[in-house]
Formats: sequence, structure tokens, C-alpha cells
Amino acid sequence: MTTLQVKNLSKKFHGSEFSAVNNISFELQNDEILALVGPSGCGKTTTLRLIAGLERPDSGSILLNGETVASQSVFIPPEKRGIGMVFQDHALFPHLTVFDNVAFGLRGKNQNDIRSIVGEMLHMVGLLSFSKRYPHELSGGERQRVALARALAPQPVLVLMDEPFSSLDADLRTEVREHVRRILKTIQATVVFVTHDQDEALYMGDRLAVLQKGQLEQIGNPQEIFHESNTRFVAEFMGDSDFLKGKVMRDGIQTEIGLIKQQVDLPLSTQVEIALRPDDIDFHIDGSGNSLIIERFFRGPFNLYRLRLDSGQILHAFTEHTRILPVGARVQAHVNTDHSLNIFSS
Amino acid sequence: MIVSPRLLISAGLVALFVAIPLIYIFIRAAGANPEDWQRLLQTRIWKLLGNTLLLTLSVTTGALITGVSMAWFTERTDLPARKIFRWLLAMPLAIPAYIGAIVHLAMLRPRGGYVPQFLANLFGQEIFTPSPFGFWGATFILTFFMYPYVYLLSAAAFRSLHASLEEAARTLGRNPLQTLFQVTLPALRPGLTAGALLVALDILAEYGTVALLRYETFSSAIFIQLSGRYDRSSASVLSGILVGLAILFLWSELRLQGQARFTQVESNWRPASLFNLGKWKIPSLFIVLGVVSISLLIPAIVLLIWSIQALLDPETLIKIFHTGSQGFGSYIWNSLWSSGLAALIAVTLSIPVALLAVRYPNRLSQIISRICQVGYAIPGVVIALSLVLLVNRFLPFLYGTPLIVVMAYVLRHMPQAVRSSESALKQLSPTLEEASRTLGRTSIQTMFQVTLPLILPGLLAGGSLVFLTSLKELPATLLLRPAGFDTLAVRVWAWATDGFYVQAAPAAFVLIFISALPLYFLLRREQIFR
Repeated sequence: MTTLQVKNLSKKFHGSEFSAVNNISFELQNDEILALVGPSGCGKTTTLRLIAGLERPDSGSILLNGETVASQSVFIPPEKRGIGMVFQDHALFPHLTVFDNVAFGLRGKNQNDIRSIVGEMLHMVGLLSFSKRYPHELSGGERQRVALARALAPQPVLVLMDEPFSSLDADLRTEVREHVRRILKTIQATVVFVTHDQDEALYMGDRLAVLQKGQLEQIGNPQEIFHESNTRFVAEFMGDSDFLKGKVMRDGIQTEIGLIKQQVDLPLSTQVEIALRPDDIDFHIDGSGNSLIIERFFRGPFNLYRLRLDSGQILHAFTEHTRILPVGARVQAHVNTDHSLNIFSS
Repeated sequence: MIVSPRLLISAGLVALFVAIPLIYIFIRAAGANPEDWQRLLQTRIWKLLGNTLLLTLSVTTGALITGVSMAWFTERTDLPARKIFRWLLAMPLAIPAYIGAIVHLAMLRPRGGYVPQFLANLFGQEIFTPSPFGFWGATFILTFFMYPYVYLLSAAAFRSLHASLEEAARTLGRNPLQTLFQVTLPALRPGLTAGALLVALDILAEYGTVALLRYETFSSAIFIQLSGRYDRSSASVLSGILVGLAILFLWSELRLQGQARFTQVESNWRPASLFNLGKWKIPSLFIVLGVVSISLLIPAIVLLIWSIQALLDPETLIKIFHTGSQGFGSYIWNSLWSSGLAALIAVTLSIPVALLAVRYPNRLSQIISRICQVGYAIPGVVIALSLVLLVNRFLPFLYGTPLIVVMAYVLRHMPQAVRSSESALKQLSPTLEEASRTLGRTSIQTMFQVTLPLILPGLLAGGSLVFLTSLKELPATLLLRPAGFDTLAVRVWAWATDGFYVQAAPAAFVLIFISALPLYFLLRREQIFR
């Protein structure tokens, strides 16, 4: 069943030259987590706020469970949309206890119901014993979980999360996001999740929507986005690609590091660019090789090498963490991968 | 968020309410009898303009020098007892300048003043002492009762300035004094200039002190036109010019407020190292003690002695407690309720304006917010004139009721409420309100359940400020009060100008004591007192 439909949504802020959101359309199925990902200023947060009803769209429409909540003629205010939202800064009410924060969205229910729902929610996020505390007495991770419990308590049809982990420390972030994804999947929530972090998007999203400059570049499952990037931007943003020039030949693509055997639907001799990620490249010491080791970064589980081809082109390559080669050594680099590469005509 | 039309309309109405008295003054000034203009231009205006500007300049300079140097002593040096001096240097805010003037006048009067008498007895002949009257007297008194504004601003700025800034100057070859003048003070300049302009606006509006010390400015001249001669046409002309001048100052101040400050508190803030006074410790202590004595200790001690004298003298006691049908309790009650009501109204009206200006910043909301701060530029005498004219014409039933006094307080002190509410709202993340909306509250419910409870301390601070300044207000109260409506300020003034200092003292003492309570609450919120 379709929970959310966004149709040709556009929004331009007063005094701004560019549209924050430019003709975006997508749909979201029940129980699905969609990660909206893109660099800062790409329009992902604005899209979220439009869905929440915190902003009014210039054109286009938003449907929740088939019912229009925003269009040219309709605008349902946020309090009537039945949407839960988790804010970047958590936005816990500092004058209310953890219990009252979670109960805030449950007005109109009787006291017993409220108590049992809040208890259930706090149990779910592991904070049942914290219910009498105030937000300032909690750690960052605990606040994050209260914010989630508060958003989920009224059983919203849709949960919106705006960079919910960005205020947490790096090591805590991984732990909290695993916990949060487990909770969201347990209660089968429908979620739109906004992040600028590609790792987080790949981890959280059942599907990913990549945005740039207010436009939707690509939407699909994580593997599609990663391996079958539609645009150069998506390939670059998702997974730090290098782009190597090449020419379409009969049996593959001729590049500076040899022939890449991959058939493309382009006329012969077309100039193309191949997106190469560090795990696609392999190399070995070779005095007459095609490139030079410029730098090596020890990254713990692996080594990241920076290679310079004779043309000046830079490529990055992973090797296992025990394989240490000297900077300045001449090596022969080549493509070594079992999946097809993203190729863009230039 | 989407601005609700309700909010826009309420803020617009508040701005209109505040703007009308101002616009009306200009209309009356422009429409005044051309002969009055002619006569005033030839006779009065240039003299008044010179007097007023000269006093403004001298007091602003004096207050800046005193305020900044006192702040430097308490925040940047190893002066002993800094913690106590911080309080003592800020507390004169509870003493209206005219009460300070009354005390110092009694001390320094050429004939019969305590100091000349004491010196004459000591030496057996008359010794020359400087006269407290005229330009120098007014400069002296106003400097010592206005500097606390500058002191608080600069102490806070000294406090928030990054230590690394001064340390960088030191590593680049500047000694501590060069650092102070080449780095620290220039960094504080925008904040200090804004503070100085507010002091200047207060001087333009000052009535009691200049009247008492017989130095004629626009404010005192307008007061005489209104109370003695009932010449409203001339008063309108003078008011128009005075407000035009004040608007110029306020406009500069608002522009400075709008600019980003040089200084800001950052997360890795740490205090700067203190300047070692060394052999200057004792002289410095005497300087600071001198300022505290003139502005706080002498007035407090003299008023205390007078009050005791008054309470011990049955004749004076009867006069204090029974003047006509009124008693001492009614002065206190009148002061409390009129100032309290003004504070309540001003804060309530400031809420929609602050919400609009902070949550939906654009050209229109900025204009509305600035119009609501125009009260800074309308001296009490001008508010009184404008209200007399307006109320007589459009709301005659208000005339002759104390409510017209309350209205004057609200109009004059509204800017303080607007600024407090705005700064409180700026510290509140808008996501809290948005969270409330997504959890099923309407914008009105959100305001009452989330926004207002959270900005309450800021609103109370704004209210205290309005209350404090209304309590001290003199010229508008004198001109607008209905017969028999006596406040503490009015009684102090009436008795003191008749020469009954001892009789005025208990009322002055109570007035200062009541002012000190909200002031204590306000100062506790300041960073330097934490």
C-alpha cells in the first residue's frame, strides 16, 4: 500500500535565486524506510518540512494514504496531518519530563492509556527508568531515543527524521542508528529519513533518493544507487569515485590503465568517463608500470593508496592493511572487479 | 514555518498603537502656528539645541569613561573585593538621577549646603566650593547616575571577549596597556557605541535633574510650556524638534544593534588573565570607592539619616502620613499598581511583535519591531503632550484618570519589553514549536503550552525593567496625573522642590528600595554576577 505520494513538488524561498525543491516526485510504500540523501543545501530538509506541513509548497501536491494534504488548493496544517517528526536537535521540551515529552502527542486519550503507551514507548527505547528526568539530565544518545519515542507514541502514519544522528559523537552514532533501525523495523514504521552522510543513507534506507540542487537525481535500492548510478553526481557522491577518461572500442573501453571489458550502448569512439571506486582498482609493483604511489593512508582495516597516472589523473585504491608499499614506488594499476562499472559519456 | 495572519495583524496593531503618539506630535509641530515657529526660531531653539547637545555630549562622554574604566577594574584587574564592587557599581540604577541630584544639591549648595558649612566651620571663613548648578553640575550628577548602563554593557563585553584575542596581541609584541587600547577596546566598540547612544537618549529625555539644577534643555523648556504657560503650540514645535533629534540617535543605535557584534561567547571561552595593579592597587581602590560613594553610598546614607530625622520628628511625621486626604500607603500603592500594570501591558503587547520579528524575519517584521522601539526616542514630556492632545480629542473619558499615566509608561518603556522578549525568543529553538505542531497542537496551543512557558524568565526580565523605569518616571507622571494621584516619585519631587528634604527622604528611600528588588532579579541574570 502506498503511504506517501509526492507529486511535482516545488518550493522557492523568498529572496533566493534557486528553487530549494524543484519538481520532485516519489512514492513511499507502507513499512518502507526512504533515505533522502545529498549534500547540504540540496533540498532534502525542505522536502521533509513540506511533507510535515511546516512549509507550504509553491506547486505540486503531497498525498498521505491517498488523501491530499498539500496542493494548490489544499493545505492541512502540521497538527492535523498525523505525522511524527524527529528533529536534528531533538527539540525535547526542556520544561517537561521525559514522560510528559512522550505524552505530549497523546492528548485526548484517558490517563490509563497514556500511561501504558508512554511506558511501552520508553520500554522500547530502553529508557523506562528515566521517565521522571528532564531533558537536560540526559546524554545525547538518550535524548535521541526520547525524541524517537515521542514521535512514535501517537502512532503516526509516517515518521520523518531530519538528520537525527548528526548531533551525536561518531562512535555513539553507529550504535544508536542500529538500535533505531531495529525499532523502526519492529513496529513496521513508514519513514522518510534525511541525511547528508552516504554511509548512514546506505545503512538506514530500504531505498535511497539522491538529491542535488533541489532535484531528484536518482531513487532506488542501495545496490542500484551504488552500482548503477544514473548520473555522474550520484556516482561521485555515493562512494567517492574517481573518474577516468576512456574511449568506446569494439570489445570494451580503452583507458590509460588498459582495456576495460564492458559493453556499453554507445557508438564507437565516444569519449566516456568511468567511475572507479577504491575497491575497483588493484595494483602491483612494476618498474615500468603506469602509475606512481603518491601517498598511503593507513585506515585501520585497510590501506588507502593514492596513485598518480602519467597523465596526472589521480586514482584511489584499497589494499589489505598488512600490505605496505613505499611512497614513490612505480606500480602497474588495473581494474579488478566482478561488477559492471558506471560509465558516463562526457 | 508559515506566518499566521492573526499574528501579523496583532503585531501590526501594536506598532500602530505605538506609532500614533509619535506621528501626532509631528503633525502638531508641522501644523503649529507659523508665528510660533518664527518666534521660537529667533529666540529659543538655537540656545536650547546648543544646551541640550552639549549636555548630551558631556554626559555620554563622562558615562563612557567612568563605565568602561570601572568595568576594566572589576573584570580585568586584580582589584580587591571585585565581587562586591560589581554590585555596588550597578546598584545606582535603582536611584533616579533626580534623587541623586537632590542629595548632592543639599550637600553642595553654595549657601547652606553641608560641605560649604562644614568647611566654613573648620576654617572659620567661607571656602570656595564648586556650584552644583548649571552645566557642570548637571554633567556631574547625570554622569554618576548614568554610567551603570555603560558599566554593565562593558563588563559583560570584557567578560565575553576571547582570552586568545589578547594573548595573540601579546605574542605579537604589545604590552598589556597597548593591548587594551589597540585590541580590546576596539573590539568592544560596536556594543559600547550602542550603549552610549542609549545613554544619550536618556539625557535628551531627562527632566528632573536639569530642572532642579537650573540648566535649560528641550525637555525642561517643554515642561514649562506645558505646566506653566499652557502653550501647547510652542510645546509642539519644541517637541517636534526634540523627537527629530532623538529619532536620529535611535536610528543609529538600531543600525548598530542590527550589525553583528565583534564579540561573542564561544564554547571554548576561558577568562583572560588579570592585569596586576601592583603599586597602583591602593590608588585604584580609592578611585572605584570614590565613584561608588558619589553614586550610591552618599545618597543612601544621607537619605537614611534624613529618614530617621523625619521619623523622629512628630511634625514631619504627620505631614508625611497625612497630606490632604492621602497617606503614605497610597503613594506606595499608586506607584506599585501603575508601574506593575504598565509592565504587564508592555510585556503582553511585546509578545506578538517579538514572535513576528524573531520567527519570521523579513523587511516588514523588522519595520514593525523597530516602530515598537520608538518609545526610546519619545521623552516623557513629549509623550505627555501627545497623550494630552490625543486623549482630549479622541478618548476624553480617559482624561483625568490614572490610566493615562499607565498608557504613557507603556508607550515610553515598550522598547525594553520588546527587546527582552526578542532576545528570549532568539534563544529558543524554533524546532520546539515545530515539534509541538507535529504532535497535534495548533499555533495558538503551541504558543501557550510551549513558547510562553519557556520564555517566561525573559518576559519577567522585560517586565521588571519596565516596572523599574516606570517607577522612576517623573515628567510624564507630573504632567498627566489626575489631581490627587500621587506616586512616590511625585511626592519626592513635590516635597524636595519645596525645600522639604527631610520630609521627602522616607518616600525616596522606599522608592529606591522597591526599585532595588526587580533590579536585583535583573542583575542576577547578568553573566558577571553569576
